[in-house]
Amino acid sequence: MSIVDSKLDYAVDIFELSKSFNRSGNFSGNYTTLKSLITKPFKKNNTPNIIQTTAIKDLTIRIPRGSSVGIIGRNGSGKSTLLKLITGIYAPDHGHVKINGQVRALIELGAGFHPDFTGRENLYLAGILYGLTKKQINEKFDQIVEFAELKDFIDQPVRTYSSGMFMRLGFSLAVNTDPDILLIDEVLAVGDAGFVQKCQEKVAELRSQEKTLFMVSHDLGAIERWSDEVIWLNKGEVKDRGHPRRVIDHYREFIEKGIEDEILGKSREATQISVNAETAQPEGHEELEKFAYERWGSREIEITRTTLTNFKGEEKVLFHTGEPSVVNVYYKVNAPQKSIVFGFGINRADGLNIIGTNTLLERVETSDLSTEGVVSIVIPSTNLLTNTYYLDLAVHREDGYAYDYHKNAIKFSVQSQHDQIGVLHLQHSWQFNS
Amino acid sequence: MNIFAELIKYRGLITALVGRQLASRYRGSTLGFLWSFLNPLLFMLIYTLVFKYYARLDSQDNYSVYLFCGLLPWIWFNSGIIEATSSISSSGSLITKSMFPPQILPTVAIITNLVHYILSLILLFIFIFIYKIPLTEKLLALPLIIVLQLGLMYGLALFFASLNVFYRDIQHLLGNVFNLLFFLCPIIYPVTVVPEQYRFTIDFNPIALLIESYHAVLLEGRWPPLWNISVVFLFSILIYILGKNIYQKNRETFAECL
Repeated sequence: MSIVDSKLDYAVDIFELSKSFNRSGNFSGNYTTLKSLITKPFKKNNTPNIIQTTAIKDLTIRIPRGSSVGIIGRNGSGKSTLLKLITGIYAPDHGHVKINGQVRALIELGAGFHPDFTGRENLYLAGILYGLTKKQINEKFDQIVEFAELKDFIDQPVRTYSSGMFMRLGFSLAVNTDPDILLIDEVLAVGDAGFVQKCQEKVAELRSQEKTLFMVSHDLGAIERWSDEVIWLNKGEVKDRGHPRRVIDHYREFIEKGIEDEILGKSREATQISVNAETAQPEGHEELEKFAYERWGSREIEITRTTLTNFKGEEKVLFHTGEPSVVNVYYKVNAPQKSIVFGFGINRADGLNIIGTNTLLERVETSDLSTEGVVSIVIPSTNLLTNTYYLDLAVHREDGYAYDYHKNAIKFSVQSQHDQIGVLHLQHSWQFNS
Repeated sequence: MNIFAELIKYRGLITALVGRQLASRYRGSTLGFLWSFLNPLLFMLIYTLVFKYYARLDSQDNYSVYLFCGLLPWIWFNSGIIEATSSISSSGSLITKSMFPPQILPTVAIITNLVHYILSLILLFIFIFIYKIPLTEKLLALPLIIVLQLGLMYGLALFFASLNVFYRDIQHLLGNVFNLLFFLCPIIYPVTVVPEQYRFTIDFNPIALLIESYHAVLLEGRWPPLWNISVVFLFSILIYILGKNIYQKNRETFAECL
């Protein structure tokens, strides 16, 4: 039943492949209604409303048989479009995709499964869709169900299945029906650890049989574990390709640099520089409007500059979770004061207040200020999770009278190496006892 | 791939989907398959009441059977085409996320409704028996008429289902058009009441011609008129070519438009 042409050394041959989509700018999406056809009959030909987006641009990739290829890239880089072009769900605008073998695609959980029908009925339907005969499905049936660990549920309607069960059923069907090329889009994310382990073994087995695996994921860890080659797509083109470790590191670096550039571009002038220029306001960017830099106070004591650095004193706006950071507040005393409180606060981009504290609360002595100097807040470990944050810095009197208040003085980002959720990374370790 | 070859290749899938469609329609309902009979039966009762007793349209013998004979193929035509029209556009992840030949869907809609029609024919034969209407060898032409209607519907289904992906109004428009078309077909009235100058509403209306043919072979012991058969055949060929071209030209873009 395998249809591999063993004379050809590739599994997938993509040649000068291009695909773009027309997205109309208005709300009604890309449906033409009769109404719009009648009212604007020539719209389709001359409208400036339709925006063409290129999803895949002149892509040439040849995937050798028996390889395991991971595709990475940011959202909209063309990963899923590429899979759909390979499976033939989309037709290319230009170029071609040649497939050498039987393709099994897991593009979405439960796609093609009918919710009201039992697992058994759905397996038969899906099997027929894969081009198998009833007899062939009968032969494989027990094996598929056993692999999916769904023996007790196979006669239940699939609408009662959890997403993990859906994945197991779909995956089991795909891998147990002699695939030559297996395409997987994200779906493994919902599997429990035990099943993922089993999938990995199965995939290893398939690979030893010269089968080809093609997977798309945002889970870089999984990509690294599963692939022996990684292709990084950026705006529909191959940005890098090669050894998983190297390409993934390159990609990570690029993403971080991107975030850094974005923040530097938008806010460095808006914050540090504008501390000196009184009324400077950042451009009316939606996000920045909410977190616009604001300053008020009587200036008996003035904050002349604020910086965020690492321990070496280099200014940074992107930190990794756990990295040390230092907030420096440069001050100038215009009229000596008895009561001086320095304070700082951190707010997350969604408005959540992470911390707000000051020298008064923490009983830190501040009366002996020279005319000019720097107050540094040293954070040995920036234990925040991936997000964007805003720093408030202020100097005021004990009763709250503001000398100089800088709201949203510095914008910075934190990247976590792991995908934990929540607010903070608490120092912890895992221990297993039995 | 040739679209007929595709249908043959996926005949197993079509059978399975028709089965699933039939089973899911009445799954969970107590009367289940009986609804296939009850539905047209209720229609027949109401129409008989209204048109025979209120509107006195009783120039036709055995009015109820006559009505039933035309109503059943109409229901097949109406439900089949309406369901087929939205079948591709409402298929969701089947088309956008898996390698599924789109034309299977309208085909399944038509065949599912054909099965209903054939089942309800049993009921019609019971009536024919009760009313002691003689069955003749002309009944042999019944399969031919059914095949003709199937061909006509296949072309129409391809045509409307493809168009409906791009113009969602089609499905709503068709519902209304079919409500009007119903009255232009000799279902609730005999062809004989149509004045000569309006005969064209029957003579060039393929579905009316089909219904007239059903009447001929089932109730009147006549062969279907040659005119009816040839016009329906020509019309079917025409609409098939049209439907096939629109489908072939656009099938690759369905996934993007859904």
